[in-house]
Formats: sequence, structure tokens, C-alpha cells
Amino acid sequence: MTTIAIVEDNADNRLLLQAILDGLYDLVEYENGTDALAGLASSLPDLVLLDISLPGMDGNEILARLRTDEALRKLPVIALTAHAMSGDREKYLAAGFNDYITKPIVDETILLSAIERWLTESQAGRT
Amino acid sequence: MEQSPIASADLPPTDSAALDRLKRFGGVKLLREMISLFLTAAPERLAAVRTGLGTGDAEAVERALHSLKSSSAQLGAMRMQRLSEQGEHRVREGSMDGLAQLADELDLELTRVRAWLMTASTEGTT
Repeated sequence: MTTIAIVEDNADNRLLLQAILDGLYDLVEYENGTDALAGLASSLPDLVLLDISLPGMDGNEILARLRTDEALRKLPVIALTAHAMSGDREKYLAAGFNDYITKPIVDETILLSAIERWLTESQAGRT
Repeated sequence: MEQSPIASADLPPTDSAALDRLKRFGGVKLLREMISLFLTAAPERLAAVRTGLGTGDAEAVERALHSLKSSSAQLGAMRMQRLSEQGEHRVREGSMDGLAQLADELDLELTRVRAWLMTASTEGTT
């Protein structure tokens, strides 16, 4: 099954993502950047959902590290953020995120279609 | 300084549609678990706000308010979301003025939100 890594420090957000994604994908969860980078390197998922506001290393820094790592740089990474300021979307896409989903999650189909879109793109890129 | 914009006084404090949404995502089980996590985490985040204010750790204050904003929004605690967001923006703009007062307001709001969520959790409905 397709594996999605969730990097999110808040237990409530992890629980919510589990409820929406469980059964559709295999899920791996990380609560901070250090664990995430170590885990992603040893067990490559198909896609990453990355929270921006994390203690210590934040989502932007994690992404920057992924994008400079030869083995990880092509991973599709979707930013999850409650910032939602105007211009945020452009900022995150410019930083190298594949997509950008705002919290709270109101319409789960937006999340699911973003995931499917980037999984498809990623698979096309490999062939 | 007045912390809450007058405009927000007329907005509803809570939105039960958010609870219905959680039930759609994962049934009453998810709703109850989300409420339980929130009621554990929210006081911790408020405590983190106060600790950060005490030590002048703007980043910790901003992150705690950000988490509180995000969790409140997902559960439909709209007034709590707005208060947290105001504080978050103020810290991001480089000021911690009035945030102790904001933390007091958040405490009061949490008491109201807790009562609302406990009822919803018990009934499993809104």
C-alpha cells in the first residue's frame, strides 16, 4: 500500500489525519524534525504531509533539508499549516513544497485530491 | 488597550458544524477523542503562553498560541480561535504587549468552551 508520512507535533491533528487517511494509505507518524529526517531516510514513504509550526526544526527547515538530500529531494511534500495569510500559498510553493493545505481541515476532499495528484505526478516522474 | 476588535463581538463564539464535521470524518468516537485531547492540550498551551511571557520567549508564546488557534478552529471554538490568532499576530509583529490580559481572556473562554464541549461529548450530538 502507498505510505504517507505525517510530521505533526499536535496529537489532535495526528488523530484527525488518521481518521481521514486510515484505510486509504499506510501511515507513519513523526512528532518532530529530527525523528522525521532520520525516519524518512531509513524508510522512504511515497508522500509527506509536513506541519510548518513544529518545535525546534520547523517545517520550512525540514523541507530545505529534504530538498538538498539526494535520496529524499524528489519526495512529494505537502505543507499543512494554520497560518493562512494572504501570499502564504505562493511562499510555500516557492520554497519547494509541492502543495499547501490549510488547517482546520473543513473539506477532506481537498486534502485527498492533493495527495492523489502528487502521488500520480511522483509515479509519472519515476517511469 | 482594548484587545478584541469590536467587529468580533458579534461573531458566534462556537460553531457546532465543526463537531458535525468531526463526526463525519470519524464518528462519535473521533469527536470524543478530539474533545478529550483538546481539553488536555488547551490548558497546557495556555500555561506555555504564560511561561513564555514570563521568560520573554516570543517564539514559544507564538507557537503555543498558534497550536491553540489551530485546535480551537478544528473544534469550532471560534472565539478562542480569534483570540489566539490576535495574540499570535501581535507576537509575530514583535510585540508582547497586552498578552497577559489576552491569556486571561483565553482562560475565561476555555471555561465556556469546556462546558460546551463536555455537553457535546456526552450527548455525542450537537
